[in-house]
Amino acid sequence: MRRSEIQHGLGMTMVLISGTMLFATLLMGYAIYRTSATAWPPMGTEPVNVVLPLLSTLTILFSSYFMHQTRVQFADHKKAKMNLDTTLCLGILFMGIQMLFWNELKSSGLLVGSGIFSSVLYGFTWIHAAHVVLGLCSLVWLRLVFKPATRNLDVKLLNVEKFWHFLGAVWVIMFLTLFVL
Amino acid sequence: MSGGFNEIHPEPTTFWSKYIISFDHKVIAKQFLWYGIFFLGLGGMMALLIRWTLAYPGVPFPVIGNILFPDSAGIVPPDSYAMLFTMHGTIMIFYAITPILIGAFGNYCIPLMIGARDMAFPMLNMLSFWFAFLSGVVLLISLGLPLGAAAGGWTSYPTLSTLIGQPGLGQTLWSLAIFLFGISSTMGAVNYVTTVITLRAPGMGYFDMPLTIWGLWLTAILNAIFVPVLGAGVILLMLDRVFGTTFFLAGASATAGNGDPVLFQHVFWIFGHPEVYILILPAWGIVSDLLSFFSRKPAFGAKATALAMTAVTILSTLVYGHHMFTTQMSPLLTQSFMTLTMTISIPSAIFFANWLGTIWKGSIRFDSPMLFSLGVVFVFGLGGLTGLHLGTVTTDLYLHDTYFVVGHFHYTMAASVLLGGFAGIYFWFPKMFGKMMNEMMAKIHFWGTMIGLNGVFFGMLMVGYGGMHRRIYNPFIYESLQRLIPINTFITLSAIMMGAFQIVFVINFFYSLKKGPKASQNPWEVGTLEWTIPSPPVHHNYDVIPVVKCGPHELGNPNLKNGRDFQYQTEELVQG
Repeated sequence: MRRSEIQHGLGMTMVLISGTMLFATLLMGYAIYRTSATAWPPMGTEPVNVVLPLLSTLTILFSSYFMHQTRVQFADHKKAKMNLDTTLCLGILFMGIQMLFWNELKSSGLLVGSGIFSSVLYGFTWIHAAHVVLGLCSLVWLRLVFKPATRNLDVKLLNVEKFWHFLGAVWVIMFLTLFVL
Repeated sequence: MSGGFNEIHPEPTTFWSKYIISFDHKVIAKQFLWYGIFFLGLGGMMALLIRWTLAYPGVPFPVIGNILFPDSAGIVPPDSYAMLFTMHGTIMIFYAITPILIGAFGNYCIPLMIGARDMAFPMLNMLSFWFAFLSGVVLLISLGLPLGAAAGGWTSYPTLSTLIGQPGLGQTLWSLAIFLFGISSTMGAVNYVTTVITLRAPGMGYFDMPLTIWGLWLTAILNAIFVPVLGAGVILLMLDRVFGTTFFLAGASATAGNGDPVLFQHVFWIFGHPEVYILILPAWGIVSDLLSFFSRKPAFGAKATALAMTAVTILSTLVYGHHMFTTQMSPLLTQSFMTLTMTISIPSAIFFANWLGTIWKGSIRFDSPMLFSLGVVFVFGLGGLTGLHLGTVTTDLYLHDTYFVVGHFHYTMAASVLLGGFAGIYFWFPKMFGKMMNEMMAKIHFWGTMIGLNGVFFGMLMVGYGGMHRRIYNPFIYESLQRLIPINTFITLSAIMMGAFQIVFVINFFYSLKKGPKASQNPWEVGTLEWTIPSPPVHHNYDVIPVVKCGPHELGNPNLKNGRDFQYQTEELVQG
């Protein structure tokens, strides 16, 4: 492995460890709320409609797939670029679906201040979305420097890819714990 | 992976790129140093205001009291008192110790001591400082708010820190400032860990690194792992305060679900206990090195010291519950946390014994860095021993939230880290600025600080043992505590004395910066890599990346023939 690959890979690993700890803390909190609550969702609250979260899960999974394809087809610059564009579009679509989801929650009468159930739903998805915005920024940056002549382009791609997969993985865990379980 | 990715970056030419948005680790280190010293002064003033109130309740604070508190004729009012101890803690921990020990020494020493030209990610390094700067600005703004800054204690437990306890904007800005500072710390940590792993000079194994680097490296690892935990906590706190979520607000569990105020305490201390070691590890590292350098003999059991520090680092992640013995934790948990806490004594005793082994029969040079290091050995010993009473459940239940706790953590975190920081400043000042500091003034500063600080913190242990509770505006409304007024007056006078002696340091610092005698390349006669290059170093540190051939503490080797009693790390180990 080249030195820059090791150095930047290690840096990204540290970033991902930090990110993991942040989301692990949130999930630890959720576990405590969930286990100490007498009923979940609390009495009088309808369970959340999982259609939109399911859609966003599929979207982010597909975007991760195309991100992966970008690296697989790295040798063919044009194809790689198309895959990257698709990833970016799916990422933006994910944010769109999340917004629809928040609107749906709101119109179903579940407001941010309606108690711990809605606090968790809004708070955690907001925090995740804020990180997705960061991920989108790094994708846009990667798209801007995505030229064959760019130095260490493969390393840049690999690290953005790792971050993007991380966001996908966090979302899948959130989907499973917040909406399915 | 030693050898590294060591490019020579072009030297900046404009004022802006040289001193403000600098990518050079040496400049960023100095930025952190100024930043830290500024906040150290501010936090110190707050401490004096607190102490004044405790010694002379109802008496106006002299000179600046009337400017700060015009409505109460110069007397510190109760709400401001709560704000002062909150901000004193916050500022000292996050804005004084962290920037000086980790920001300044970390940035300055890591590349120089491992033989690198810069940090692994210079731009991230620059961003790290400016995030810290932004965070500091937010915190300073919160001091000027009409309802005052945060006043729920530096731990900011709900419900004191929710809108019920703190209706003003201060606590929100506090959370924002801490979050921004967390980003800065995490960026720094990512950088430090990567730099130490990938940029060590050829030949430098992990055990050839100076112990300073070990301390800073372990600190960075803890930072990267545990600062985000607090980050999550303060984000949720901010959501509670700004958007009306109820993460930390207890409600009717059947209908609204149940927020949990104690959860914040868990989150806070999962971060908070490693944070204690984040602050002290760099000081341990610096002291371990300096004791060897100034005793003119190899560090006793250097490998064991490094491994013991690693063991403490690992154990520090498992003991946070000892901060929460009084929160109705199950006895099973309190006993487990107590046992784990006591286990930390073992590695601590190992490196402490190594410190004593290092100075044993050494030909000690009592220069100012050594005096401060010996000071750390003394105060950290006291701090560690008083920790045993607090780690034990049975005694902690009585001592919890008394001044005994305040005395204990000031001995470990304030006294040890402060003295360690001063040792570092006196030691590396010649390298940083190319000038020598005045040794006489440094020694006066040491004795003033040492005597003052022990007066303050030992006094705190005594009044705490006497039952004085912390965070009370006027404890002497309780009849049982009135007999403690004389000791409190003594503590305050010691604090004022200690504060006054810091002026000697400031004068010495700025005078030496301008008028100090020029420093030679190696004024302390030690062999680590930073002393093989001119003081101050050139922009790219090393013209040729050094090749390391021996450990950092090769002093007093009887086989040395060239009139020196030390050898550089770039020299082959002299054998008989």
